[in-house]
Amino acid sequence: MTAIRLSVYRYQPDSEPSASNAPKSDSESDPRRPKPYMQTFEVQAQPGMMLREALLAIKEQDETFAFRHSCGEGVCGSDGVNANGTNCLACITPIADLKQPIQVRPLPGRPVIRDLVVDMTQFYEQYRAVDPYLIRKDPLPEQEIRQSPADRDKLDGLYECILCGCCSTACPSFWWNPDKFHGPAALLQSWRFLADSRDQATDERLDALEGPYKLFRCHSIMNCVEVCPKGLNPTQAIGRIKELMLEQSV
Amino acid sequence: MSRRASGLKAWIIQRVSAVYLALFGLYLALVFAVAPPQDHLELAAWATSPWVAVGLLVFIPVLLAHAWVGIRDVLIDYVKPIGLRVALLSLMALLFLASGLWALQALILIQVD
Repeated sequence: MTAIRLSVYRYQPDSEPSASNAPKSDSESDPRRPKPYMQTFEVQAQPGMMLREALLAIKEQDETFAFRHSCGEGVCGSDGVNANGTNCLACITPIADLKQPIQVRPLPGRPVIRDLVVDMTQFYEQYRAVDPYLIRKDPLPEQEIRQSPADRDKLDGLYECILCGCCSTACPSFWWNPDKFHGPAALLQSWRFLADSRDQATDERLDALEGPYKLFRCHSIMNCVEVCPKGLNPTQAIGRIKELMLEQSV
Repeated sequence: MSRRASGLKAWIIQRVSAVYLALFGLYLALVFAVAPPQDHLELAAWATSPWVAVGLLVFIPVLLAHAWVGIRDVLIDYVKPIGLRVALLSLMALLFLASGLWALQALILIQVD
């Protein structure tokens, strides 16, 4: 069995620096507050091993190590991390694809709570801000709202998003303005409801997106497309929103 | 009146101006690469021919509008303190206005010559 080398981001603001290789805080800042540092681990390789399994092996060596994970198969979107500079879901990223030592860091741009666990509050607030649900003005029918297969097809590539946050935290525009720019994940969902034949709030949704921030901070950098673990294309969805806006305004 | 600076308008100005800039910029590059005017008289003759004159007249405001949207985006992205941002935006606006008027003056003078 060969060993896998990982260099993992450690930050434990609520505890004394216990590990021997934790750097001493400088005297200017709060001396009780440990600084983040990279810690090296070696774990045993397993056939077909994913990054999540390596992180779990680290946790067996050092139980103070924290990261989020749940389903282990790319469905729940909990274990978004930055591995060797690229955001990914640890559970579906094969170790074999990563150059060693694997640098594992928390999703960029978000406040770190502990080790690889980040505060995604702003990300969820931006998701909430696009009203990610069907809005009907007509009285609701007795049973379901019917939709033709062709109209249903328009939602393919949109509804699959699992809100892991890999895209928005890879987006420079979201790094600069996470409080004002919706970010690729929320905008993909915005288009998902604009594109839905059953939704009746197109005007309100488009009006809410006007202004230089919410939608138009997107400069088509396309980091979102590159990192999406589900292979979705937020940049294209954002382009569609802009086209629809233009259509409705001239 | 919206409190917000424009989003869609700025974006479409940037897109449309980019098309003109690409086409006319390519024409300018070709002229100066293949058959550049040899002296001031030739340059004046080239710049005063009707199509080129109109093209240049359009080129200046379109270039400045494109640059304005671009620089506004950069300042909105990177300059957070509102006082500094407004100061820089004003400075750029004045700079662009001055450049535009200066270029216009040059175009008019070359027509008169």
